[in-house]
Amino acid sequence: MLMFFASLLCSCLNRMACTRFICLSFYTAHDILGKTVSNNSDMAEVKFVFREVLPKQGQLSVEDITTMVLCKPKLLPLKSLTLEKLEKMQQAANDTIRQQEMAEKEQQQITH
Amino acid sequence: MGWEMEPLLLAWSYFRRRKFQLCVDLCTQMLEKSPYDQEPDPELPISQAAWILKARALTEMVYVDEIDVDQEGIAEMMLDENAIAQVPRPGTSLKLPGTNQMGGPSPAVRPITQAGRPITGFLRPSTQGGRPGTMEQAIRTPRTAYTARPITNSSGRFVRLGTASMLTSPDGPFINLSRLNLTKYAQKPKLAKALFEYIFHHENDVKTALDLAALSTEYSQYKDWWWKVQIGKCYYRLGMYRDAEKQFKSALKQQEMVDTFLYLAKVYISLDQPVTALNLFKQGLDKFPGEVTLLCGIARIYEEMNNISSAAEYYKEVLKQDNTHIEAIACIGSNHFYSDQPEIALRFYRRLLQMGVYNCQLFNNLGLCCFYAQQYDMTLTSFERALSLAENEEEAADVWYNLGHVAVICAFLLQGIGDTNLAHQCFRLALVHNNHHAEAYNNLAVLEMRKGHVEQARALLQTASSLAPHMYEPHFNFATISDKIGDLQRSYVAAQKSAAAFPDHVDTQLLIKQLKQHFAML
Repeated sequence: MLMFFASLLCSCLNRMACTRFICLSFYTAHDILGKTVSNNSDMAEVKFVFREVLPKQGQLSVEDITTMVLCKPKLLPLKSLTLEKLEKMQQAANDTIRQQEMAEKEQQQITH
Repeated sequence: MGWEMEPLLLAWSYFRRRKFQLCVDLCTQMLEKSPYDQEPDPELPISQAAWILKARALTEMVYVDEIDVDQEGIAEMMLDENAIAQVPRPGTSLKLPGTNQMGGPSPAVRPITQAGRPITGFLRPSTQGGRPGTMEQAIRTPRTAYTARPITNSSGRFVRLGTASMLTSPDGPFINLSRLNLTKYAQKPKLAKALFEYIFHHENDVKTALDLAALSTEYSQYKDWWWKVQIGKCYYRLGMYRDAEKQFKSALKQQEMVDTFLYLAKVYISLDQPVTALNLFKQGLDKFPGEVTLLCGIARIYEEMNNISSAAEYYKEVLKQDNTHIEAIACIGSNHFYSDQPEIALRFYRRLLQMGVYNCQLFNNLGLCCFYAQQYDMTLTSFERALSLAENEEEAADVWYNLGHVAVICAFLLQGIGDTNLAHQCFRLALVHNNHHAEAYNNLAVLEMRKGHVEQARALLQTASSLAPHMYEPHFNFATISDKIGDLQRSYVAAQKSAAAFPDHVDTQLLIKQLKQHFAML
């Protein structure tokens, strides 16, 4: 039963657009489950056979409310060896240049 | 006194064990002992050997595979005189990625890069270059290392590396290039080859390298294919693609080598002729059946042309030949993830983990795959590991962004019980790490909107859409909000932008239709 709810919930989540639709489908789900359980009085042999139900009477209204979209999860691309080496070399080069500059600055301060 | 090893042998051993700095130091000592001038003494073969060894060690220290290196400056991209057609037919150019709809995923499922391509599973020096359409985009598109794009090729990364190496050697450069007598070296083929590689890779002085190569090929009476390939490489670096093509073709006539095929294909890709490059790769495959680099080249071109299904086919072919090919595994994995099969993607990424890849990106991907494959126990630990392995702020920001996504979905699942505080905090942290994370701004805006903070949401969305005009989500969200609060004009403008970024988006089309009806009624 839980599985059913979970899948139902997921399918509803996919259509977050229509909140009213969710409410309606929840009620129908309760109804279906209620019937199956009451028909099988022997609880040990309860088999949930779900049949698709197309309501023949009553109203089913779907209101499409546009909702906001989230940006999608981002898989991060792996880096190639060449790229890693280039970045490492660039970092090392930057560091050496910075060190040299710092050393020069210190020397200037000492001479002043 | 213990045993002393023959210094040259020791240096050679260091070289083979890739301890280049030690090797260089030892060679320097040896060269100081023996009379050392600009050039090695022909009478002293040992000093000559030390000289070559030092040059080779220095080259190896900074060597990067020339096939992989591709760096397009702004000038090269915008002032491109080599492209054959300014308005190429669909499917024949890398500049119009959107034209080929065969198997291309929609941006509603797979995020796109600024160049308008779906994000790939693997990053190479040339991957993110892309071919931006406008100057503004060219300046904004980050290169791989998040640094600014160089103005031209010649002012790029290599020059900076060169200056750094000059600063580190106190006695000046190892070889003073301007004082070299190139003709003399060209007559000694073995010396010339080592010297060429030193000049090309270590000094990055392409013009001198080209001079040396030209003299050498003349000396060998144009019979050595190796020199022709080197001349081609120099021409390519100098941006003379047609001359490079001639050299490579002539080298191929003499001796068919995989490398030469790859270089020639690189020239065609720079000339924006992907179909020619594909044909060339296929020719190469006839000569070298099952060659992984050629297969991989084909897959890369298909991927760049947005033909994801063909690309996946060729990546699978690569894996048949070499089942530890990281690029192929990563690309197939990301394809599966974005085609709604996170379980299979998880297997591919686990394979990478088994192979010893251990970095932030991999754990982030594992975390996402685990979450969507409903293996919740592994999700958070993977993300934690990814955060601890993040090397820079941008990587950490991306991990926090994905974590925020997980939190959002949890909050949606537990409607009523769960709250969006965690998600909120994650996106905030992503922005703390990287202030330009447009996706995080957009998702934060959605959360704000759910809390009913319209003005904050609008501000966030405006930031997001100015940071990433190529994404449709911020434009569409802005249009929706503006429509709700009655600002129809702005809503229409934003909806138009959203439609430009993602023409097939149904909700955008509906919104535009509604707005047009509104305007018609006025």
